[in-house]
Amino acid sequence: MSTILDAETLLAVDVGTVNTRASLFDVVDGRYRLIATGRAPSTAAAPLYDVSEGVRLAMDQIRTVTGRQLVDESDLLIMPVTSQGSGVDLFVATGSAGPKVRTVLVGLMPGVSTASALRMAESTYLDLVEVVNLLDRRKDEDKISAIVSAQPDLILIVGGTDGGAQTSVMQLVDLVTMATELIPRSQRPRIIFAGNQELAPQLGQRIGEHYDIAVAPNARPRLHHENLTQARLAIGEAIAEVRSKRATGFDELDQWAGGTLGLTADAYGRVFRYLSRIYDPEKGVLGIDVGAAHTMVAASFEGDLRLSVDTELGLGSAVHNILRRSNLERVMRWLPFEISVSRMRDYIFNKAMNPTTVPTTPDDLALEMALTREVIRVALLKARESWPRGKDLASTWVMPPAEPIIGSGGSLSRAPSAGMAALALLDGVQPTGVTTLVLDPHNLSASLGAAAGAVPLLSVHVLESGSYVSLGTVVSPVGQARAGRRVLTLRLEPEDSNEDIAGEIRMGQLVVLPLGQGSYSRLTLRPERGIDVGFGAPGKAGALRVAGGAVGLIIDARGRPLELPDDPAVRLELNDQWLRDIGAKE
Amino acid sequence: MSEMYITSVTHVLPMTTIRRQRLLPVPGSITVRVNEKVQAADVIAQAEVNARHYFLDIARGLGVSVSEAPRHIRCQAGERVEAGDVIAGPVGVTRRTVRSPAEGRVAVVQDGKVLLEARGELFQLRAGFPGVVIGTDGSQSVTIEASGALIQGVWGNGVQEFGVMRVVGDGPNDGLQTNQLDVNLRGAVLIAGMCDHSAPLHQATELSVRGVILGSMPSDLIPVTRRLPYPVLLTEGFGQRPMNSVAFGIFTSNVGREVAIDAGGALPQPGQRPEAVIPLPSSRPVSLPDDVVPIKRGVRVRILKPPYLGEVGVIKQVLKNIVSYPSGIRSRSVEVEIEGLGSANVPIENLEILQ
Repeated sequence: MSTILDAETLLAVDVGTVNTRASLFDVVDGRYRLIATGRAPSTAAAPLYDVSEGVRLAMDQIRTVTGRQLVDESDLLIMPVTSQGSGVDLFVATGSAGPKVRTVLVGLMPGVSTASALRMAESTYLDLVEVVNLLDRRKDEDKISAIVSAQPDLILIVGGTDGGAQTSVMQLVDLVTMATELIPRSQRPRIIFAGNQELAPQLGQRIGEHYDIAVAPNARPRLHHENLTQARLAIGEAIAEVRSKRATGFDELDQWAGGTLGLTADAYGRVFRYLSRIYDPEKGVLGIDVGAAHTMVAASFEGDLRLSVDTELGLGSAVHNILRRSNLERVMRWLPFEISVSRMRDYIFNKAMNPTTVPTTPDDLALEMALTREVIRVALLKARESWPRGKDLASTWVMPPAEPIIGSGGSLSRAPSAGMAALALLDGVQPTGVTTLVLDPHNLSASLGAAAGAVPLLSVHVLESGSYVSLGTVVSPVGQARAGRRVLTLRLEPEDSNEDIAGEIRMGQLVVLPLGQGSYSRLTLRPERGIDVGFGAPGKAGALRVAGGAVGLIIDARGRPLELPDDPAVRLELNDQWLRDIGAKE
Repeated sequence: MSEMYITSVTHVLPMTTIRRQRLLPVPGSITVRVNEKVQAADVIAQAEVNARHYFLDIARGLGVSVSEAPRHIRCQAGERVEAGDVIAGPVGVTRRTVRSPAEGRVAVVQDGKVLLEARGELFQLRAGFPGVVIGTDGSQSVTIEASGALIQGVWGNGVQEFGVMRVVGDGPNDGLQTNQLDVNLRGAVLIAGMCDHSAPLHQATELSVRGVILGSMPSDLIPVTRRLPYPVLLTEGFGQRPMNSVAFGIFTSNVGREVAIDAGGALPQPGQRPEAVIPLPSSRPVSLPDDVVPIKRGVRVRILKPPYLGEVGVIKQVLKNIVSYPSGIRSRSVEVEIEGLGSANVPIENLEILQ
């Protein structure tokens, strides 16, 4: 493993669907710092189908900014750093670009192994096109037809606890074998078996040597125990294989990275798992990344990571799916101006066709931010289905406490003001209690996760540096109260001045108090009866030390869940008012 | 610094070489040879798709043990069978047999079971435009080349067709109206600026038109166009956007000629653009269009976002400094000379090359 002494300069590259980002880190005063970032259009898709060009353009931006030569005359990465200061000591890379991996899931029991595999599939870039299980009432021949017509890139077989069911699992394996036999040899999918490990030796004989099968540790080794880590690695390899078939350059990146090229989602999740171990154990850590083709939600509770990669939702080529997963009215309710349903729909379809575009007019920006809110809300609803009991959707409709909440993705990071990004996160996530909103403006999380294995200190140092922007501490009271009724009184005592602020907050208000980045205050909250601010029970008062941020201290007393008025005129006025309240509009 | 470029290039060319690979969904048979001339409607390859499968349990069918079943099977994997052909048996005094339930192919024989693949639907791959076959892999793909005008669109309803072009309306801003459609347009490919309701599209169906090429239409017409028997191709996008002047000019200058429309798939399939090809003879070889074009002075672009949505212009200069826009967004930009509007700064992300 590298250490801070022998790997001072690190270059991280993340190849996304729309953008390829390069981030250069170096040691400054004994701590790792982000030195420069570069961004270029990804070139994994048409017309180039070669990720290298986007990578080189992103790296070239870093060279322009820093003057540091990263590649030699042959366009090869200079590693390690030369005596002239060219090159880097370490290179890490992640990727989410490339086609979705069409996957058929074959499992034993819907609520057990199949459920585990479904969770696994939803935490990475798989496009689940068919699910077959033992209780499936279709005839075997119809199941075979379904597998063949699904044209899978990957068949994932799970089922049977270790030492458990064998016959039924082998019946499923036989079914898969027959179906695979019908698929032209050049198009045969990779098969991953992550079921009863006692069957592993028989698989070679049963499936035959001419099939591409990988045996991974059982995803459900015992009835109440799930082990997805190793199977995820096998899936990662399958995804890498599929994308390498469709675009070149991944192999070169992998070579530069010393064989550690990983999936963006895996690296992203790793950072949040780490954060949940160092932040308040009572709360989870939440990350939301709104990409062009995917939306990732990483929630981690004391090291228990629940990662969701929503391959249907995004603000680029996938944006039109919001019409299926939600509806136009739900998107339009976030707008501060009136717009016809047809114009909104046209906007969405045009955006899907031109995913790289950026809004240059205030109206276009409002449309994009409205979509951002709804995508976050819908992705979070889906992600929460797999959260631990007590925090999942079945247990509670309101968001469980999370600290911090880190947002990233093009629309958030490019938002022209911190208030605008904060409001989109508040509306989409609707946090409860006291939390901190953080923006990852350079989309560093995945790169930090990728680097964590080689240089653990880098993640720690960069997370503590100013590369992540704290938007501010948010207090979100929860409870029933009429609009305008007092829900809490507060006192804010800044540590660096004697100008205390005291006041009361009424239901429906969105209030920002001045508390700049780097400043701390003691905050005393006295909620009214029935109102919970996260001190253990409704009505319970308390005090805590809070940090400032780019927006300030935000008190969001608009209610949970946040319900917007039915009257369009009132709703438009409110949306406009909230933008002013949070400092996103003058 | 490396040259910047935009990967989003839309070809709108009055004369170019068009080379397209046509691909069967599964391997099948290729029905053309290299150097063979083909017409748009010619079948160049075909394959069976969506085949139904029959799982025949021989032991159960014959009433014998599982271990005994294999020796009664009378066919081998890969063998073709007709409906009613004996697959296994006869066995016993009643001479029980298992017969093929359909015409097809024995796909798998394994552990006393037979998997039969019945004949599927015949999928026929057509050339799409007149040209010459320049390559094939022998089982799944055929590459065709032609010279002519190429107008790439941004959206299509997934249908392919070929017909004679007729312009409807007075210009690229004009909408398709029912009162413009009469029997004189029967069997034609209609070119119009836009269409804002479904009635003209339905009327066009009654006239058996062979296709409609528009600048734009509202996105709520997507479900309507998906049910139409003819291709609908959009050159600009959704909403009310006139067809760009370059594309409209190419169409109008070729009125009366035949155009092949490949209205492609639905929303963006990487690398596959819906397009119109107007085959034209060429006295000399013409080069293939560039897929990657550097951002530099003189390059023609189309703007993809308001306030200049749909406008076509030419890059005057690549700006060195980041530009701030009324939305507050800051972006690397170019100065574009827009036809009839003067010059304006536009983020590079909001451009596509129109070449």
